Amino acid sequence: MQRSFLVLAATIFSGLAAAQPYPSRPVTIIVPFAAGGPTDIIARISGEYFSKALGQQFVVENVAGAGGTTGITRGAQAKPDGYTIMMGHMGTHGAAPALYANLKYDPAKDFTPIGLVAGTPILIVARKDFPAANLKEFVAKVKDPAAKVKQAHAGVGSVSFTTCTLLTSQLGTKSIVAAYRGTGPALNDLVGGQVDYMCDQIVNLVEQVKGGSIRAYAIATPERSPALPNVPTTKEAGLPEYQVSAWNALFAPKAIPQDVAAKLNATLVAALEDPNTRKRLLELGSVIPDKAGRSPQALQKLVESEVARWNPILKAYAQP
Amino acid sequence: MPAKLLRQDVLGALAVIAVAAFAYWLARNLPAGAAGGMGPGALPKGLALLLGALGVVLLLNAFRGEVLGRWSIRGPLCVLGALMLFGLAVRPLGLVVAGPLAIAAAASGSSEVRWRETLIYGLGMTLFCVALFKFALGLPIPLAPWLLGY
Amino acid sequence: MELLSNLGLGFATALSPMNLFLGFVGCLVGTLIGVLPGVGPIATIAMLMPLTLKVDPTGALIMLAGIYYGAQYGGSTTAILVNMPGEVTAVVTAIDGHEMAKQGRAGTALGVAALGSFFAGTVATLIIAAIGAPLTRLALLFGPAEYFGLMVFGLGLAIVLARGSVLKAVIMVVLGLLLSTVGTDLETGQDRLTLGLAELSDGVDFAVLAMGVFGIAEILRNLENPESRTVAIAQIGRLLPSREDLRRSLGPILRATGIGSVLGILPGNGAVLGPFASYALEKKLAQDPSRFGRGAIEGVAGPESANNAGAQTSFIPLLTLGIPPNAVMALMVGAMTIHGLIPGPQVMTKHPALFWGMIASMWIGNLFLLIINLPLIGLWVRLLKVPYRLMFTTILLFCAIGIYSINNNPYDVYFTAFFGLAGYVFIKLGLEPAPMLLGFVLGRLMEEKLRQALALSEGSFMTFVERPVAAVLLALAAATIAIAVLPAVSRSRQKAFQE
Repeated sequence: MQRSFLVLAATIFSGLAAAQPYPSRPVTIIVPFAAGGPTDIIARISGEYFSKALGQQFVVENVAGAGGTTGITRGAQAKPDGYTIMMGHMGTHGAAPALYANLKYDPAKDFTPIGLVAGTPILIVARKDFPAANLKEFVAKVKDPAAKVKQAHAGVGSVSFTTCTLLTSQLGTKSIVAAYRGTGPALNDLVGGQVDYMCDQIVNLVEQVKGGSIRAYAIATPERSPALPNVPTTKEAGLPEYQVSAWNALFAPKAIPQDVAAKLNATLVAALEDPNTRKRLLELGSVIPDKAGRSPQALQKLVESEVARWNPILKAYAQP
Repeated sequence: MPAKLLRQDVLGALAVIAVAAFAYWLARNLPAGAAGGMGPGALPKGLALLLGALGVVLLLNAFRGEVLGRWSIRGPLCVLGALMLFGLAVRPLGLVVAGPLAIAAAASGSSEVRWRETLIYGLGMTLFCVALFKFALGLPIPLAPWLLGY
Repeated sequence: MELLSNLGLGFATALSPMNLFLGFVGCLVGTLIGVLPGVGPIATIAMLMPLTLKVDPTGALIMLAGIYYGAQYGGSTTAILVNMPGEVTAVVTAIDGHEMAKQGRAGTALGVAALGSFFAGTVATLIIAAIGAPLTRLALLFGPAEYFGLMVFGLGLAIVLARGSVLKAVIMVVLGLLLSTVGTDLETGQDRLTLGLAELSDGVDFAVLAMGVFGIAEILRNLENPESRTVAIAQIGRLLPSREDLRRSLGPILRATGIGSVLGILPGNGAVLGPFASYALEKKLAQDPSRFGRGAIEGVAGPESANNAGAQTSFIPLLTLGIPPNAVMALMVGAMTIHGLIPGPQVMTKHPALFWGMIASMWIGNLFLLIINLPLIGLWVRLLKVPYRLMFTTILLFCAIGIYSINNNPYDVYFTAFFGLAGYVFIKLGLEPAPMLLGFVLGRLMEEKLRQALALSEGSFMTFVERPVAAVLLALAAATIAIAVLPAVSRSRQKAFQE
């Protein structure tokens, strides 16, 4: 008697939950990196807007590990009811297939794309006393084997790793590379002059450049960043083929209900138009996608092209 | 093996040597020397060898050491079992199930367990944990996915 | 003097009612989560970040900072009472602190921990205020080769930590070093020793290791000997340290403050080394080193002061350079960034109220923590009277929940169980966990710095000799290891000779 009552209650509850309009309870946004980093901040800023617009808490859950793939794997395998979504980025949905042999998800097939949120431009920076006045001289030094130029990155799979590998592969050269555990230690040694250069997201570097402890040679986006208006673009400075930005996007597990996906995308588009959200994203130095780039289809195309782009470059590096 | 030989350090040394061998075996395919100096395998293999060598030294000196004490089974089995149960149950069944389960399993590890008391205590403590960890601290720990959906 | 006027600005900012309130809340929350095993400042700060958007940046940071160093105070509480360090920096405190608790001196241990931490925190704050910026410049001189030298020196300390046989201590250190290699290789991305488990590809989590080997193993040990446990702890004894205790603790506290402050500035979690270094130093300096590991009050006073000093000075690289030295500081960066205040070398000049306000609030925070913690001692010690057969289930549940919450990953709980078993086996085999933990902590840093140094020198080991600071540190390291190992070797040779 008691048992059947409990079963009845459970059925009614879950049935009720399903019948309510989405969202009827808090939604989890999985961020596959430690809290405080650029992706996490972007997720929190957008999550705040979602919470306000949809009336339910959008809570960030940090599941860090393996360059972000642990969290994304968890997200891909979550129940496709729209209550678990995730923030993927260039690494997890672009470079990962080339870097991780046992990747448990396919970025192009195992997700429902919601939309691009924001991209963080990549800066080429060097220690403040590096003997090059502009990008052209910098490139000459990097290509010169006698100069023994040293590169730092934040670990295999990090944005600084993939973007700098792209740079050296485009220049057709190999630098002396030192691996660090995270951006903090790498930046520390760059400021201390132990290494010569790094490529990383503008958020991590902007105050250092402004403060003069490191110098920036170029930014890898078509236009200069308002946060650092004195830094030329790679196009202006003579390396137009180096175009890369650490894009961040929202994904959901494969096959979530159509209307839920549409609602999420609509809310995202509205968030990117909201003046408060825009302001905070721009303060970070990030680039907000233009209207054409905000659709799920645009995101899907980006994922596919990114996977194709990174595959040959990183596979060439990852052979021991 | 005669009881006198079963010294603490003999077992310890054998265990250490076994661990060292296992570690070396796990690292067998990693290259030890590479272009930039040391490869990924250098430290694991080197340390495994060092550990094995130290284990041998310990073994040679072990026969003068203390004799092995008694080991219990009930305590470790129940406590570790409780942790495993918690890990298995927390995501599908949530804290409200995993909590009492873990407390009950753990309590059976003590020779002084009283079941009625443990049951009440288990439920009460779980409630307290729910209030503390889920509501006060806001940790994203599943409460009862089968009932509430989160 | 400029320092005085800056401090004046700082106190004016920190003493505003809102900031005082936020600081108090931060310290209180910090203490409470420090007590809970597994749940640490990282999880809490991450969770409270959205809430802080409702207040101004200075207030938000004051609160978050309070959580961080409050957790250092709280973490020692469980370390002393139940041998379960609530924070990883409290691991060393557990060694002698828990022994003291078993002898009925829990109150004294907790009291000395609180007082030592307060003193260390106060001095550290002064250091930040006076020479923070120049100190960072010094820290920048520490490249990978120098850091490696420091780590090897730390290894020498690990051997000194042991209670018994030096050979077994060295074995445990090497085991810890080996454990630290589990995970993804830094340079090539290959998985090492991970048994094919994705959950191990980021290595073993230190909290998981410490909880298992210290806390769970302790529970297992107690379940075996129910009688011996109840009698000693039921006597509460003095709640506060006696004059004699304070006299004995003074030296350790002073020395530890210096050590902890210096190590906290070093990037890459140098602060974690502080308690270990202090313990080793005090053991070496003591007239009767055999007291250590059996409830020596110096073994609590020193490490506790070191870890609090380190927690305070680890703000320096963040505030002066804008580069976070550890994961918690990285979170602070995130918190500041969300507020639109990206940290960098200009924070001191562009936002002086924030900079000096934070420093002043740290001092006030230490005062709050003393006020919060001293009365709590009576409460904690009374909790010990709960019958163990129920108490330990609570400790276990808290541990399980806390560990799970680190990464929301049940595998962490499974690993804790495994390490608990390992810890039990260690106890039975007479092997001590403390040197292993230090080996583990040092191992990651050491290998990273060694390979970075070699990468930057293109494979040349000469880099360690050519760079003066590195060479000196390595020489010191060799000397320490020799001093630690030689007496034991000559003693056993004498024994063999006599036989």
